[in-house]
Amino acid sequence: MRFVLRRLGFFVVTLWAAVTANFLIPRLMPGNPALALMARYRGHINPQSLHAIEIAFGVNKHQSVLSSYFSYLGNVFRGRFGVSLTFFPDPVTKNVLQALPWTLALVGVTTILAFLLGTLIGLLAAWRRGGVLDSILPPLFVITSAFPYFWLAMLAIWLFAIKYHWLPQSGGYDFTTTVGWTWTFFWDAVKHSILPALTILVTSIGGWILTMRNNTITVLTEDYVRMARAKGLGPWRVMWTYAGRNAILPNLTGFAMSLGFVVSGAILVEFVFNYPGVGWMFLQSVEQQDYALMQGLFLMIVVAVLTAILAADAATALLDPRTRDLR
Amino acid sequence: MSSVGATDQLATPPVGPAPLVAEAEQGRWWDVWRAISRNKKALVGVLLLLAFVVLAIFPGQIAPEDPTAQIYDPALGPSWHHLLGTTGRGEDVFSQLVWGTRLSLVIALAVGALATVLSVLIGVSAAYLGGIADGILSLITDVILVLPIFPLIIVIAAYRKNSGLFTLIVVLGALGWSYGARQLRSQTLSLRTRDFLESARVRGERKFYVILFEILPTMTSLIVATFLGAALYAVLTAAGLQFIGLGDPNSQSWGTMLYWAQNGEALFAGMPLWAIAPGVCIALLGASFALLNYAFDEISSPALRVRKVERSRIPYRLPPPAGPEPGPGAEQPVLKVEDLTVAYATDDDPVVAVDHVDLELARGEFLAIVGESGCGKSTLLYAIARLLGSPLPGEIVNGRVLFQGKDLVLLEERELRRVRWRDLSVVMQSAMNALNPVLTVAEQMRDACRAHSNMSKREIEDRSREVLRLVSIDPIHLHSYPHQLSGGMRQRAMIAMALLFTPDLVIMDEPTSALDVVAQRSLMVQIKELQERLGFAVIFVTHDMSLVRHFSDRLLVMYAGQIAELSETRELFDRPLHPYSHGLLEAFPSLRGPKVRLLGIPGSPPDLANLPAGCRFAPRCPRVERRCTEGEVPLYSVNGSLVRCVLQEDRR
Repeated sequence: MRFVLRRLGFFVVTLWAAVTANFLIPRLMPGNPALALMARYRGHINPQSLHAIEIAFGVNKHQSVLSSYFSYLGNVFRGRFGVSLTFFPDPVTKNVLQALPWTLALVGVTTILAFLLGTLIGLLAAWRRGGVLDSILPPLFVITSAFPYFWLAMLAIWLFAIKYHWLPQSGGYDFTTTVGWTWTFFWDAVKHSILPALTILVTSIGGWILTMRNNTITVLTEDYVRMARAKGLGPWRVMWTYAGRNAILPNLTGFAMSLGFVVSGAILVEFVFNYPGVGWMFLQSVEQQDYALMQGLFLMIVVAVLTAILAADAATALLDPRTRDLR
Repeated sequence: MSSVGATDQLATPPVGPAPLVAEAEQGRWWDVWRAISRNKKALVGVLLLLAFVVLAIFPGQIAPEDPTAQIYDPALGPSWHHLLGTTGRGEDVFSQLVWGTRLSLVIALAVGALATVLSVLIGVSAAYLGGIADGILSLITDVILVLPIFPLIIVIAAYRKNSGLFTLIVVLGALGWSYGARQLRSQTLSLRTRDFLESARVRGERKFYVILFEILPTMTSLIVATFLGAALYAVLTAAGLQFIGLGDPNSQSWGTMLYWAQNGEALFAGMPLWAIAPGVCIALLGASFALLNYAFDEISSPALRVRKVERSRIPYRLPPPAGPEPGPGAEQPVLKVEDLTVAYATDDDPVVAVDHVDLELARGEFLAIVGESGCGKSTLLYAIARLLGSPLPGEIVNGRVLFQGKDLVLLEERELRRVRWRDLSVVMQSAMNALNPVLTVAEQMRDACRAHSNMSKREIEDRSREVLRLVSIDPIHLHSYPHQLSGGMRQRAMIAMALLFTPDLVIMDEPTSALDVVAQRSLMVQIKELQERLGFAVIFVTHDMSLVRHFSDRLLVMYAGQIAELSETRELFDRPLHPYSHGLLEAFPSLRGPKVRLLGIPGSPPDLANLPAGCRFAPRCPRVERRCTEGEVPLYSVNGSLVRCVLQEDRR
């Protein structure tokens, strides 16, 4: 319980840091882009959208920095991120919620799949030291882990979409199909997600394989694994409940720590594939200088990453009795 | 290697884990280079990196074309003149590639250096300062670690378009140090209580001096890893930023080439080379850092490497000795070890850790094996139980282990499992590590029962309670996790577990060494009592001879992988035949005897890879003669004892 509470506290602190960064960055930049932007827009757009920018930046000429910081915090807390300029007059929240399911389906599912698959392969590789898996995979994945995600995405498009026309090369669905809960639409969306999903899978799985392999090798030298062998337990039992259950614990911590990296790659993959998720919209908002939308999406990404980390923590608490007794 | 000295330091055995830092880590740069050149991954990484360094320093010599000159026909295919064709704007792709190396490499090295310096500063000071400072620094580290850095950098870049190279390096460095800092912090924490730091502190050296000259040199490999990791992250992040147009679009870099490739629709224009070529370069530069990083991991933690003993390279200098006299007792022995030899692989020749050992154990007998650390006693023990493998590497290369009429050495793993625990169980040195931390005691007893019997859930529960009672643990602890028990209870629980099936032989590896002296005694009494009541035989390894004085029937003294002396315990304590046994006895104070000066044995056991000629103990022996070094010394049988000492030649 203590463990979970502590991790929740960490969640709040990190979120607060992200929100504060959001507030401070435009002010700390030379020339204060926030004020410059306000000046640029004044008189050109209607008072409503001006107010939207005010909310996004927490800028109000009549307030001190501190009180505008608190009113900004208050707005964020109530989910008021202002109005998107690109999709005027839709509020930012609406846009974010529109993009979110796409990203959850693509990046969320792929990341979990990559983690589980990578952990399994890493465990098997370490278990059969010097075997085929163990001698081929590590050097291979050390190299693929250095591939830029977006570059692999470009290669995938060129090879599978342009050269061979096996799969669609961009978008989340075909514009000719109507969006809705139909099989046609579902199948179309799946087809569009295969290439980006494979790109993320191939580049991110290597990391999990390598760390799980190395963790398992370390755990295999532990006395309790030798003890399990001495007890005459079957190899599967030793591998799962003795080696695997202990080796996955540091891997879960590793998952939490490198999730940010995976998400960064996923943003670029969405960008290359024009996939209508959070990452693509985030980069669009940067290009359009739609700062309100950009800030809202950035916080969304932070919340998503932190939630995943919290889930990893919960799994740790479930698998490791020592964290449950932590004082 | 510790020597048995004339102090009482050894009477209380050293408690705690072995040093985490391998000695190789403290080596000089020459050793680092030697290790790199032996590791294929490291070699490839170094060569790739060197190639890019050459490209970055001499781009003009390698690519004579001006990369920015838009003077050629656009979108040409590869030719002799344009190795990789031309861009949509009429520039030479190959020249752009070569000139682009410089920026990527500068960013990688500068960010790597900056992030490493920050990691060291923050990680080491957090660990060294401790307290609130540590709490705050660790929290900041963790927050930055989990914040998605790339989107954050994009946000910064969005407000400051086309900011210069300097800003990019500073921002990447300022946000990329957290992973390394976390690692360095925990490494420093594990060093903090180490002897050499304590002594530096006692000498009154300044904190700054201690950190700079005592702590940092021991962490060279981790610092290098931090640098390589940060460099890899910088290469990929910078390329990503340039790719989405947040770098300077007029700068010469691989990421910018990809940006133009994307904007010029390279893929649709049928010019995939525009995208493939710079991407391959990014991937190769990244791979050089990743490979080096991985190789460093392998070099600094030898467990990650696979080694096999090459039998042909084992130096057999001894002919197999004549079989020893049969041990006392007319009964069939429970265990018979013949000519057992164990070797383990090193970077050089294999090293023989157990050298042609013969041994017999009667039913219900208590045999103790003693010797200094590194004499091969644990290796012998785990070779008998067929449990060699890391962390105690080694392979049985010769000999037989006859148990219940079967040769354990030749048994398949499947047949071996049938013998294990039912008939032969093991109690290990530290119950802290020998019990699975994520399973309750009950679960760990249950899986042993399930593996060897058809007992019902009820029966297993009852039997588990019964064995816990045998070792005086209240059965309410059955469903506890190991970390919820005290050290003494864990040790008892492990002994209880070993008795689930009342085996014929229990092998014990220093089972009391983690306990205090009083707890040691009471546990010994209990083990002896159980042994007499249940009738199992025991092989008991210890480095503390006084511990087994009143409990063991026979005593086996090992030295440098060989039997030095094997006698009845009382006989050996009264009349030690081998000068080494004599020295061991003198190293321990007698509780009741008259006050004598503790003499001990000067020096330390020989390096098994580099043994002295003749008697292995000769260099430390107070009674050494010329004939001692003239040839291998055989085992002599003297009045029922076995001794490997030329002094006994005359007394046979």
